[in-house]
Amino acid sequence: MYTIGQVAKCYALSRSTLLYYDRIGLLRPSGRSAADYRLYSARDLKRMDRIVLFRSAGLPLEAIAGLLEQEEDQLDRALEGRLAAINDEIQHLRGQQQVILKILENEGAAKHTRVLSKDTWVGMLRAAGLDEDGMRNWHVEFERTSPEGHQDFLESIGIDGAEIEQIREWSRT
Amino acid sequence: MSENGMSKEKWVAMFRDIGLDEATMMKWHGLFEVRHPDEHQAFLEWLQIPAAEIQAIRAH
Repeated sequence: MYTIGQVAKCYALSRSTLLYYDRIGLLRPSGRSAADYRLYSARDLKRMDRIVLFRSAGLPLEAIAGLLEQEEDQLDRALEGRLAAINDEIQHLRGQQQVILKILENEGAAKHTRVLSKDTWVGMLRAAGLDEDGMRNWHVEFERTSPEGHQDFLESIGIDGAEIEQIREWSRT
Repeated sequence: MSENGMSKEKWVAMFRDIGLDEATMMKWHGLFEVRHPDEHQAFLEWLQIPAAEIQAIRAH
């Protein structure tokens, strides 16, 4: 059995976090010492491992409490939901990033972001030796092998929705 | 596999299909790194390459 201090140290968490987990029923230590100190079993630590894993996936504590009691397929569904939410957030943040870049519209600002612009990208493809035809083939290939990846890529370099539609349209024909 | 469905393997296959060979791809990474280091990192992350491998590619 492990004391709360040992568990806290092992997971690099504060004791108050563990006390909180106990209070909300997320992780209740299975034992008590003679002096009534909390004692965690190996099984408790296994549970803690999963809590830490789900926390690092960004799941809220309430969701984790539920997940720990669930079957595997429900877990998958919860994680897929989280993944979809992350994708939405990324898209939303990209939009904000593009707006800021447009407002600032100067080299200095672009240097502070890691966003690839369309021009940078075209320059890089050209550097790889692709001419207009080569780039066209590349889009066609991209659309064929990974339509979602193509969409995501075009969004990531700040091309607007209408132009993306066009590019994907001629990539399919 | 992620939502965007991309991977290093798919990307490499695509580049190969449009006629780029190993040497050209290596040269391309070199240029990418020199001209746009931050974007190179962002691109490799987008392809979901693990951090250690990104390091290796960029250091090349």
